[in-house]
Amino acid sequence: MICSNCQREIPDQPDPQQESCGACGGGCRKVHCPYCGYANPVVPGFLQRFARGGSKKEKD
Amino acid sequence: MSNLHESESGHRKVVLVGNPNVGKSVLFNALTGSYSVVSNYPGTSVEVLRGDATIDAQTYRVLDTPGMYSLLPITEEERVGRTILLTEAAEVVVHVIDARNIERMLPMTLQLIEAGLPVILAVNILDEAERLGMTIDIPLLSKRLGIPVVGAAFARKRGYEELCAAIASYTGPAGRAFTYAADLEQDMARIAASMHGRYSLDRRALALLLLQKDEELTAQVATAEGAGFTAIETALREVIFERRSDLHLTISMERRRLCRSLLDGVVVQSAGPGTSLADRLSDISLNLWTGVPLLLLILYFVLYVFVGQFGAGTLVDFFEGYLFEEWINPFVIHLGNDYLPWYWLRELIVGEYGVFTLGVRYAVALIMPIVGTFFLAFSVLEDSGYFPRLALLVDRLFKRFGMSGRAVIPIVLGLGCDTMATMVTRTLETVRERIIATVLLALAIPCSAQLGVIMGLLSEVPGALAIWTGVIVLIFIVIGLLSAQLLPGEKPVFYMEVPPLRMPQLRNVLVKTLSRMHWYFFEIFPLFVIASVLLWAGKMSGGLKALVSLMEPTMHLLGLPNEAAAVFVFGFFRRDFGAAGLYDMQTSGLLSATQLTVAAVTLTLFVPCVAQFLMMKKERGWGVSLGIFVFVTLTAFGVGALLNKLLIVTGFGL
Repeated sequence: MICSNCQREIPDQPDPQQESCGACGGGCRKVHCPYCGYANPVVPGFLQRFARGGSKKEKD
Repeated sequence: MSNLHESESGHRKVVLVGNPNVGKSVLFNALTGSYSVVSNYPGTSVEVLRGDATIDAQTYRVLDTPGMYSLLPITEEERVGRTILLTEAAEVVVHVIDARNIERMLPMTLQLIEAGLPVILAVNILDEAERLGMTIDIPLLSKRLGIPVVGAAFARKRGYEELCAAIASYTGPAGRAFTYAADLEQDMARIAASMHGRYSLDRRALALLLLQKDEELTAQVATAEGAGFTAIETALREVIFERRSDLHLTISMERRRLCRSLLDGVVVQSAGPGTSLADRLSDISLNLWTGVPLLLLILYFVLYVFVGQFGAGTLVDFFEGYLFEEWINPFVIHLGNDYLPWYWLRELIVGEYGVFTLGVRYAVALIMPIVGTFFLAFSVLEDSGYFPRLALLVDRLFKRFGMSGRAVIPIVLGLGCDTMATMVTRTLETVRERIIATVLLALAIPCSAQLGVIMGLLSEVPGALAIWTGVIVLIFIVIGLLSAQLLPGEKPVFYMEVPPLRMPQLRNVLVKTLSRMHWYFFEIFPLFVIASVLLWAGKMSGGLKALVSLMEPTMHLLGLPNEAAAVFVFGFFRRDFGAAGLYDMQTSGLLSATQLTVAAVTLTLFVPCVAQFLMMKKERGWGVSLGIFVFVTLTAFGVGALLNKLLIVTGFGL
């Protein structure tokens, strides 16, 4: 996942030290960028396939 | 090269490093062919690829490391990448960078060279850079860095042969050192001179990492030095105390300066297709004289026209005024009256504060169109790369409030959800900055739904929106300035890498907007239902009436009808719930233009919702959060009362 703010890549495995704020009913739906702290929305399951279509051109 | 660099299999090692998505894996596959071994790095879940390559009749073991941005690790991937660099004793470290972003990626090359690692720089994706009008003088860059540099486009097989030749003929690190500012050089020399152990990193580079509070390396140095570590620890403490600044920031900025001077004359940018407009826009957004008007234009079109007029006006009129009022509500109320025999149950489902007539209607007909349009506009701006530019633009202004441009992130996020933004204040550099940002979020930053409803409501009344905006901006500035004066603490320094400005991608914008709406609905729906049940319980037990009576004097002070007290009670459940209540009162004709303006200002400034208050308590503790709560409540009602008097006396704009 690419951070929407600093455009750095956020690792797939979340950092266990990162806490969720607990404000979302039903669990955390934010991924905090470890580099800039920006809260990125987690892509829900039904959108993942569509979202992945955009990353076909990844170089790595 | 010495045997030290030969692996257990007798093969020399080549380690590939670099940012994610720069083409390391393409190079790895080209070097190793189809056969490679993927395994988790010991003790972690991070995958590392290993494979063999034959270069000039010599077999090499090639390791593809996870993406990393710096030798100072933040993520587990970066920790693993660095451990490989420090422990695998590579014959050659190939640093792969993206030619298009050479200025952003070169600082890591400097770090690798300073560390004494055997670096070859591969400037990849050169074809794309050339297409964008960039020319990179590879021999000159190689001369300035003192290491072999290869220009490449590995996906097109360009530069592969040159890289293999560079690996085969590599003769070892050049031991090049780059000169930092005099005070930093002094600090480094002081720390390095205190070290006596044997390290895989150059001592100067190690000193830089220790100054940046690298915990892992500090522990390793403590073990290696034994009793001698006390001297290093003392020197570190003294330097950090003397400098009284974020050394990580200072070092990053110094490295940037070095890179800019190294690249001077190496990179030439001609006006190529697709770059000039983005670059021009980027410059406009960063310049104070053009950036502020651009920001005002964005606020006008995005918030006022798109969210306020289209979302809260046109769309809400359709969903609320037509769909719910004319079709759905009459049908559901009719069903309830026919089939629900008990008064209390009818009230619970289809009554004044019914789960359907209040909770569902507010969530679907009022809030959904507003947050939908807001999230769409927000995602477009976000995907374009505008926000980091906004952060740099307002940095000067925010410094007057005791904050840095970094505070733009929580402040902008607050326009989406203040609760989450309050948590993000923890990323700010100083405690003082965190407290000021928390106060401003609680007081003067409306969340998306509240903002949308208020925009929609006030845009109908001439002058009301201008007064509301003026008061909120004034409060933001006054409280920011006062907080900066009253709260003691360090002045923050801000530095941020600015990613390229780009045309927003339709797919990204859709995914981000829908993901946010999905998140919002999961959160909002149950809360709206719970809030309507609580209000129903309050109505049935008489508690709500008592609470409203209790607030009557305050409403009188604000010049508002007594019914408006319920809106403030709603607002404490959720900010947008309160704004929706205000919308209901306005459409029922219960408020004059002056009352609407006063209510909108007071409600915006009024206490944060329950979730935000709990987050404040979690982040800042009971004392600070209760202090903020009391301060915000008094300020909101004080400003509301004052505004009421002022509007009545002057009749200004209404």
